[in-house]
Amino acid sequence: MAANIPNDNITLPASWRGRAPVFVAVGAIAVLLSLGIFYFTNTEKAELGFRTFFHSYLANFIYCLSFCLGALFFVMVSHLARAGWSASIRRIAELYAYTIPWWALLFLPILAMVLFTPSDALYAWNGNVDNLTHVVQEKLVYLNPIFFSLRTAVYFAVFIIAASVYFKMSRKQDDTGDTEITLKLQRWAGPFIMLFALALNFASFDWMMSTDAGWFSTMYGVYLFAASMLSFFAVMIVTCYLLQRNGRIESLVTTEHYHDMSKFQFGFIVFWAYIAFSQFMLYWYGNIPEETLWYKYRMNNNWQWLGLALIVFHFAIPFLGTVSRHVRRNRGVMAGWAGLLLVAHWLDMTFLIMPNVSENTPMSVPLLFGHLICWIGMVSLFIALFLWRVGDTPVVAVKDPWLPDALAYHNV
Amino acid sequence: MSEHKVEKKAKPPRAFGWMAEYEDENKLLDAARKVRDSGYTRTDAFTPFPVHGIDEALGIKPTVLPWFTLFAGMTGTIVAITMQIWMNAVDYPYIISGKPYISLPAFIPVAFELTVLFAAFTTVFAMLGLNGLPKFSNPVFSNPKFDRSTDDRFFLWVDSRDKYFNSDKVKNLLSDTSPLSVEEVREDESPTEIPRSLITVILTLILLTLVPGAIVLNIRTAKSNSPRLHVFFDMDFQPSLKTQTPAVASIFPNGRVQQPPVPGTVARGELEFADPYYLGYDPAATASLGGSSVNLVSFQDGDKTPTRAAVPDDGQPPSPADQPATTDAPAETPAEEKIVQETGPAAPAQESTAAQEPAAPVAEVTAQVEEPASADEAAPVADLPTVPANAEPNYAWLTEFPLPTDEALFDLGRRKFEQNCAVCHGFSGYGDGLVSRRAEALAQGYWLQPTSLHAAAVQQQPVGRLYYTVTNGKGKMGGYGASLNPKERWAVVLYVRGLQRSQNAQDSDVPPGMTVTTQK
Repeated sequence: MAANIPNDNITLPASWRGRAPVFVAVGAIAVLLSLGIFYFTNTEKAELGFRTFFHSYLANFIYCLSFCLGALFFVMVSHLARAGWSASIRRIAELYAYTIPWWALLFLPILAMVLFTPSDALYAWNGNVDNLTHVVQEKLVYLNPIFFSLRTAVYFAVFIIAASVYFKMSRKQDDTGDTEITLKLQRWAGPFIMLFALALNFASFDWMMSTDAGWFSTMYGVYLFAASMLSFFAVMIVTCYLLQRNGRIESLVTTEHYHDMSKFQFGFIVFWAYIAFSQFMLYWYGNIPEETLWYKYRMNNNWQWLGLALIVFHFAIPFLGTVSRHVRRNRGVMAGWAGLLLVAHWLDMTFLIMPNVSENTPMSVPLLFGHLICWIGMVSLFIALFLWRVGDTPVVAVKDPWLPDALAYHNV
Repeated sequence: MSEHKVEKKAKPPRAFGWMAEYEDENKLLDAARKVRDSGYTRTDAFTPFPVHGIDEALGIKPTVLPWFTLFAGMTGTIVAITMQIWMNAVDYPYIISGKPYISLPAFIPVAFELTVLFAAFTTVFAMLGLNGLPKFSNPVFSNPKFDRSTDDRFFLWVDSRDKYFNSDKVKNLLSDTSPLSVEEVREDESPTEIPRSLITVILTLILLTLVPGAIVLNIRTAKSNSPRLHVFFDMDFQPSLKTQTPAVASIFPNGRVQQPPVPGTVARGELEFADPYYLGYDPAATASLGGSSVNLVSFQDGDKTPTRAAVPDDGQPPSPADQPATTDAPAETPAEEKIVQETGPAAPAQESTAAQEPAAPVAEVTAQVEEPASADEAAPVADLPTVPANAEPNYAWLTEFPLPTDEALFDLGRRKFEQNCAVCHGFSGYGDGLVSRRAEALAQGYWLQPTSLHAAAVQQQPVGRLYYTVTNGKGKMGGYGASLNPKERWAVVLYVRGLQRSQNAQDSDVPPGMTVTTQK
């Protein structure tokens, strides 16, 4: 069987690995720079600059983490469905998922703020109780620093355990070629996915939705899931494309894989729009004040342009652009569409979190500029962590028993 | 006919093309490529399972089916949006849930559904059409070997209609592709005539399917005196009085649905004797004042007997089916009906039935108006003293509440006021309730704005007078004695007093220990 596996170069280019420290430096500097920008563009109110920075940090943190969560889900669901086609690209997803332990460290600033200070820079429920509405005060049983930190630890524990189990077992198979490992991972995929679904849902409620503690939406977790999967497939397409451009995994990842990743990406474009619209329509139709407030912030102070941009760039244009089979089978074009979706995903995370800075924060150029710098920093860290994580690990699981299937795979 | 048949049979069977049989899919693919490279395009392959790469090996061009799907989907979206805009904003403008006539978010679910529906149906039917389906027979079926194409054999087929088709060349070409066999497909020689019995059966079935439609059509257009066919009776026939329905179904002999109280009885808990608590004034003191101590019943028109839909003496409703031409009509038949009767028999029989039907209801209505009230109907109380409209009765009004006033009573009053009174009087009692405001906006002239509860005249009224108004109504306002019990009426009076005080609050009204802040 192994004879059929093409002898591709499956290690990262050495020049890429050498750039990881540069990315870390750029990342750290840019994140700190954004703090400075927010601080000095809000001179009349230093506290507001601090708030803006934390919101921007959270938005960009979730932006990067969502790729890894999407990757983790993809790995598990591939095993759950005993998918053959994805065997040649699954290692890349495993590597992305296995950067989650480092992302847990990057969540520490937020956790420390909640745990050790009474600051309401990100979460109003962490600040002065007397300033809260009655509804939020009643929620303090759930939204309090200790319980929040405990839950955060549980979420990361679920993500990290799942990611390391799937990565390490797959690495073990690289040496032994033991097919039992695959069977074991398939058996565990179901329970892990259930835990993952709960953790992702509640993490989105706690970390993101509670920035506006009075508002609630049961769709929120699903929304983040849809956005995560969409952006993950975009990241995968870009990653595979860049690796192949540099002469890696040239025959291990075929047009069929691009076609499939693009189909998934297309599906999640529709699913994201479906979830986003469902949430909006129910609140719009019901027209109940505590539910519509969230949308009120996002329909005023220029944020409405961001919302319209999401409809156009997160749904309409990519939908029409990637609806054709011929587009989906064209690697370069798909890499371009994936790039557009990664920008749209950033707009989406911005739309979710940034209007919560305060009740009447407008979408302004200084705010977007600082936010953009923070994004550059966080994405640099994301790239650096990925490069570090890969190191000299092969980016294809060459002894995966499904790999011959993946190579023979053909879209009808 | 028979000559034609003979001629047809004499002809050699038509050849449709060549068919090669292969042992496995790889040989088939090789052969298909070879045939494709020789330039043949009208080819096809038959395999027991989907074979990867067969499209490319046969040189089949990408299908145009996605375009059908795309345009059908777009049509669905446009149809759905246009339809909803036209229905909700043009044809029948209707505000739903306070949203604009054209509110896109509400239209999107339907647009989504129609997009999917149009796209899916079009895809399925276009797929069938592009595949030439449904196809009941294919010439290849004439070869018994072909049965194994669903089992373990692979077939390649070259159609004789191909541009470059040449029987010998094709045969040689296929023979060179290591087939198990190469055979010419000939016309099926079995008779092509449809059996007569089958035609009879099909025709009978077609005719039978027309029967239900014909019955429905007949019922829809024909006139009938019998009630509609009801598969489920639901609540269509029930012993309650409905508008424009004779009260035939009433379970009471007098035809009424709601019965008046039995004379000389009072329902449990309903006895309201002459007590200030029930009246709002002291009857004894009123008598000494020279006023009346009798509860007043007012009629809009005291001279006339109240009328209602009458029932003929025999208790049967006047039926249109009755022949007006018969002479046993009621004695008090009015003039209009007589005219109809006279003209009726003169006309031809068919015409007369048509003329009688519209005429019958006219006769009924007239009869109802003319009929005198039957004896068992509630007669007006003759010995009531009459108080001229708008005159203030000279009663000994209660000035104190005849029951303890506490917060519970006040809350009850607030609830009852908001449920019953606020629609006209407004929540704060200025006579600006929604009904009032709407009536003013319509400006149709007959609306009198309710009196403000804060008018000096109302403020000075004793509580008994207010209670009396709540119970019996005043001016255009109806009495609420029937819908609120005495305690609730007193509670409303208490709440009205509270409202009046709230609009004229003094500094002394502020409870000790609290301060007043003015809201900016």
